[in-house]
Amino acid sequence: MSFVTVRHFTEEDIPLRTELLRESHFQANLTDFAASTDDDGLAENQRRTIEEQHRTKRMFTLCGPQKRVMGFAWITSIDWRNQCCELSFGVLPRDRGIGAIAVIAANQYLRLELNMDIIVNQVLDHNKMLLSAEALADQRRVRCDFDSYTVGEWRAACYWTSTEQDVRDQQEQEAIRRREVADRIRAMAQQLS
Amino acid sequence: MPEIQLLRASAAASGLRGAKAEGRGFLGVDPVTQNDALLARELTRQGAQVYRAGDTLVGYAPNHEQPRQAFLASTSADPEPIRAVLAFLSTYQRCTSFVAMVPAGAEAAKAFAGCGFEQTGVLRDHRYQSGGYQDVLVLAKGEVPCPS
Repeated sequence: MSFVTVRHFTEEDIPLRTELLRESHFQANLTDFAASTDDDGLAENQRRTIEEQHRTKRMFTLCGPQKRVMGFAWITSIDWRNQCCELSFGVLPRDRGIGAIAVIAANQYLRLELNMDIIVNQVLDHNKMLLSAEALADQRRVRCDFDSYTVGEWRAACYWTSTEQDVRDQQEQEAIRRREVADRIRAMAQQLS
Repeated sequence: MPEIQLLRASAAASGLRGAKAEGRGFLGVDPVTQNDALLARELTRQGAQVYRAGDTLVGYAPNHEQPRQAFLASTSADPEPIRAVLAFLSTYQRCTSFVAMVPAGAEAAKAFAGCGFEQTGVLRDHRYQSGGYQDVLVLAKGEVPCPS
């Protein structure tokens, strides 16, 4: 069972997400519109999503142990009838090493509770924070050159969809990886004792 | 009969979130899939009123097609808060007919049974929750004579 929980984004989360929007990696990897928007504009934009834009956009807060905020996920281009949406993430710098677990938790929530069937993922080509270069190359179902212009450069984007089976496979691989790490730690502990 | 306290829509939304699993499906809303703003908006759109009675939330929404009928919901198995709302609706809204649509397995079904509601139907696979479609029980308490 994942230690990451997904809850609705609230007004209290706005300052932390605004800080993230201004962070250099975030701007290069997702969007740099925060560089030219003031705090009030960013807060108002997020407040509007909380209060009004439920049909077209939803934001969520990803929490770790003791409800500590790890980052945020948001879905756009929501097609409720056809059960598909596009998923984006921003993981706080302190938690980027375990960002992939947060991604899995968000995927699960979208499938189990919002009844989304097809989830479209997009990662800019140079972004290796959530997926390794190999995984990204493997996922590169659609590559779109000149997709985004962020922080002074044109960026290519990789787009792919994930199905329920993909998520199950990812979870199994993650469970295997964790078991291997646990086995290694146990073996090292036995050698030391 | 317990005292019932009318809540603002925003307080009702946060109360339903606090009710955890028993808040899901309350008058058709769901705190897991809807944020507080959307819960409040949806309750307002229905013309719903939500009351607190101790730890229980109980509420109703008018049936605009049949003004003497109200849809009811509760977050607990305790029948007393429902009795209080039934008395209120009968006394102040002249309601004579009551319907509850309760997700299968929800505690509230026991409370409605304790108030004389009978199951009149099942909506198969009516709502999606936790990875699957779930049944919704239709419970009704019909033709309560109007006091005046």
